[in-house]
Amino acid sequence: MTSVVLKDIRKSFGSLEVIKAIDLEVEKGEFCVFVGPSGCGKSTLLRMISGLETSTSGQIVIDGEDVTHAEPSKRGIAMVFQSYALYPHLTVRENIGFGLSLAGRPKSEIATKVEKTAESLQLAHLLDRKPKALSGGQRQRVAIGRAIIRNPKVFLFDEPLSNLDAALRSQMRMELTDLHAKLGATMIYVTHDQVEAMTMANKIVVLNAGRIEQVGSPMELYNNPVSPFVAGFIGSPKMNLYEGEVAAAERCGTYGIRPEHLILSKSGGKWRGQVRHIERLGADTVVYLDHPELKQIVARAPGDFEVASGDEIYAMPMSGKEHRFG
Amino acid sequence: MTRRQLYTGIVSLALASVIFILPFVFIFLTAVKSKQDASRLIFSWPVEWQFWENFLQVLQTRNYLLLLAYFNSTVITVFAVTLLVLFGAMVGYVLQRRPSPWNKVIYGFVLAGLMIPPAVVPTIWVLQSIGLFKTITGMIFIQVAYGLAFSVLLFRSFIATIPRDLDEAALIDGATPLQIFFRVILPLLKPVTVTVIVVQSISIFNDFTNPLYYLPGRENVTVQLTLYNFQGQFQTQFNLLFMNILLVTIPPLIIYIFFNRQIVAGMTAGAVKG
Amino acid sequence: MVTQKSPYPYWFVLPAAIVFTVLFLVPTFASFWFSLTRWDLFSTQFIGLENYAQFLREPFLIQGTINTLIFAFATSATKTVIGLLLAVLLTSGIWAQGFLRTVVFFPVLVSTIGIGITFAALMHPTNGVINVALASIGLPGPGWLTDPVLALYSVIIVDLWKGVGLATLIYIAGLATISQDYYEAARMDGATRTQMFFRVTVPLVRPATVTVVTLSLIGGLRSFDLIWAMTRGGPGFSSDVLASVIYKQYQAGFYGLSTAGNVILFALIGLIILPLTVWFNRREVDL
Repeated sequence: MTSVVLKDIRKSFGSLEVIKAIDLEVEKGEFCVFVGPSGCGKSTLLRMISGLETSTSGQIVIDGEDVTHAEPSKRGIAMVFQSYALYPHLTVRENIGFGLSLAGRPKSEIATKVEKTAESLQLAHLLDRKPKALSGGQRQRVAIGRAIIRNPKVFLFDEPLSNLDAALRSQMRMELTDLHAKLGATMIYVTHDQVEAMTMANKIVVLNAGRIEQVGSPMELYNNPVSPFVAGFIGSPKMNLYEGEVAAAERCGTYGIRPEHLILSKSGGKWRGQVRHIERLGADTVVYLDHPELKQIVARAPGDFEVASGDEIYAMPMSGKEHRFG
Repeated sequence: MTRRQLYTGIVSLALASVIFILPFVFIFLTAVKSKQDASRLIFSWPVEWQFWENFLQVLQTRNYLLLLAYFNSTVITVFAVTLLVLFGAMVGYVLQRRPSPWNKVIYGFVLAGLMIPPAVVPTIWVLQSIGLFKTITGMIFIQVAYGLAFSVLLFRSFIATIPRDLDEAALIDGATPLQIFFRVILPLLKPVTVTVIVVQSISIFNDFTNPLYYLPGRENVTVQLTLYNFQGQFQTQFNLLFMNILLVTIPPLIIYIFFNRQIVAGMTAGAVKG
Repeated sequence: MVTQKSPYPYWFVLPAAIVFTVLFLVPTFASFWFSLTRWDLFSTQFIGLENYAQFLREPFLIQGTINTLIFAFATSATKTVIGLLLAVLLTSGIWAQGFLRTVVFFPVLVSTIGIGITFAALMHPTNGVINVALASIGLPGPGWLTDPVLALYSVIIVDLWKGVGLATLIYIAGLATISQDYYEAARMDGATRTQMFFRVTVPLVRPATVTVVTLSLIGGLRSFDLIWAMTRGGPGFSSDVLASVIYKQYQAGFYGLSTAGNVILFALIGLIILPLTVWFNRREVDL
C-alpha cells in the first residue's frame, strides 16, 4: 500500500525551474532517502511534501488523501529540521507538547503523552530543561519526540544529522534505524551524504538538477546504476569513469569500474600505471595510479597492500563488475 | 594599567567633573537653597538646607500641577510604548519574513519617518477633525506615529537573527499566524523589546515639542511642560524651578542605572552597519 | 498555480499603517497644499507661492533659515570630531574609563528643557557661574545669551555639551568592531600613534561616522527645544531657527506661513541628507 504519491510535481522560482516533473511512490512503512548534491532540489521536494513550499503544478497524495492544497499542519506529517528548530524559550516538556497545546487539548492528556514520548526516547530526566542546556544528540531526540507525539502518517527529516560530529552521527544513524523498526512508520529523509543513504534506506531516490536519476534499494543502486551520475554518487571512493577513446574501445559512451573491483598486481593486467599516492586505511589500501590514457586510476586493495610511490603496477578489472553506459 | 593611563584618567576625570558634573551639582545646590539664596544664581554651598520645604512647595504649586503632570506623562509613556512594541514587532516581523515589492515602499516610509520633521499645523488640523486634539489619546497616537520608524528598524534587524525554522516548526505543529507571532516570536524578542521600551520611554518622557503643540491646556500638562510653565512663573523662585529640574532628571537617571546596557544597544544600533 | 495563506499576513502591518498614515503621512502631504494658502483660525485662501516669497523677503525669516544651517553644521561637525576623540580616549584603557563614559553620556538622557534653563542660569551675564569664574581670573565675561552675535553660538555649545555623549557612544561601538590586528600590523610597519589614528582608525570607523554625521545633522536641522528654553530665538530674532519660526508663526495665527516654514525645513533636510547618503554609499563601494 502506498503512503506518499507525487504526480508530475514541478516547482519554479520565477523562470528558474528547480523541480522538473517528479513522479514518485513511497510505500507504507518505507524508509525512503532523497540523496543528491547540494542544489539538486531534494530539500525543496521535501518541503513541498510538508506544505512549507507550494508546488507550481502536480499533485501530492498522502495516505490516499489529496493534500496538494492542504496546510502543513493538516497533512498528517511531522518534520525534523536540520537545526532541530527547538523553541529556545520553552522547556523540553513544552517543546514536545507545543502542538497539542496549540490544539487546545486538556493539560492532563498533554502531560501523559509527553511523559510517554519522553520515556521512549530516554528524555524523561531532561523534561524541565531548556534546549540550551542539552547536548547535540539530546536536542536531536527532543526534535524527534516533537515529531512522534503528533503520531504522523509520514515523518520528514531534513538533513538531521549534519550538525553532529562523526561519532555521534553514526550512533544517531542506528537510533533512527531502530526507531523506524519500532514505529514502522513511513519516513522520508533528505541527505547529501551517500553513506547515510546506503546505511539507513529501504529505498533511495537519487536526485540530480531537479530530476529523479534512479530509484531503488541501496544494493540495486550499487550494483546496477543506470547512469554515470548515480554510479559516481553511490560508493566511496568514487567509481572510475572514463569517456572518449577508452569508452569507445569498450563500445560505450562511458565506461566505469569501481576501485574495489580492480585487482592490482606487479606481474600483469589490463592497464599499467605508476603509483602516485597511497592511502593506507588499515582494513584496505587505496592506490592512485597515473596512466597515460586514463589519466587516473583509483584502486582499492584489501589489507595492507605492499607498494611504494613511483612503482609501476598493473590493474585488472574483475569480470562482470564493469559498467557500460550509453 | 600603565602610569600614563592612570595620569590620563585622573586629568580626564578632573576635566569631566568641571564640564559635565558641575552643572548637575549646580542644579542640586540651587534646588535645596532658600529663595533669596537661590536668586543670586551663584555656585555656593546653601546657607540653609530646604530640601523638603522646596520639594513639597513644588508639588503643591498651582494645585498639585506637577503630580498631575507626572500622572499624564506616565499614562502617555506607558500606552505609547506598549503600542510601539506591539506595532513595531509586527511590522518588523512581516517586513523581515515576507519579501515583496511592498517592502521597498515600507522602507521608504520608515526612512521618511526618521528624517522628516512632522508638519505641525496640518497635524493639528487632522487631530481636530478626528476629535483627538488636546487629548491624552491623541498624544499617545502621535508618539506612536513618530516613534514607529525607530521601533520597526530595531525589531526588524533582531528578527533577522531568529531562524525561520522555528516559524516553520510551529506551522507544522498547527499554529496560526497569530499563535506563531505571540507564542514563538514575541517571547524571543525580549532583549530588543527591553531596549525599545527603555529608549522610547526616555524619549517620550523627555519630549517637550509635541506636547507643546498638541496638548495645550492645564488639565493635560506633561512633566516637560511644567518646566516651561514654571520658567515664567518662578522667575523669582529659582530654588523651586531647579527643584523641578531635579525631579525631572531623576527618572532617566534611575532608568540609566538599571538599563544602561539596553540603552547603549538601542542608541548604537546603526553604528556598525551604517 | 497553488496559492496558500502566508504565515506572515499583511494585516499585521495594518494597525501601524493606519496610525502612521493618519498622523504622519496625511499631514505631511497636506502641508504642501496648506503652505500655498493664507490660513488662519477661520478660513483658508489660496495665495500661490506668496508664503515662500515672504521667506525670501523678510530678513528675520532669511535669518532663521541661515541660523538653522549654521546650527546644524556647527553642532554636527563638532560632535563628530570631539565624539571620535573622546571615544578613542575612552577606549584606551585609562583609569576610571567606565565612569567617564557614564558621565559623558548622561546629559543625552536628561530633559533638554531642564538643561536649557540650567545653562541659561550658568550663562547669566553678571551672576552666572561662567562669568564669575572668568572674572576671578581677570577676564571680562561676554553676555553669552544677551549678545545678539553670540547667542546662537552659546546655544550651539550647550547642544554640543548635551549631545556629544551620543556621538561618543556610537563611536565607541564602532571602534569595538575594529580588529586589534590592524593596529598590531601597523605597529610592525612602524606607524606612530598619530599615523595609526589617521590611517587606521579614521577610515575603519567610517560606518560610525556616517551614523553620527547623519543623525546629528538631522537632529540639528530640526532642533527646537534647547533654543526655545535658552533664548526663545532672541535677542530679537538673532538666534531664531526654522523650528522656532514655525512655532512663532503658529502662535501668531499665521498657519499658512508656519506650514511653509515646515515645507522649507523638510526640503532643506532632503536636500542635505539625500545627497550625503548617496555620497556615503558610493564611497562605501570604493573601499
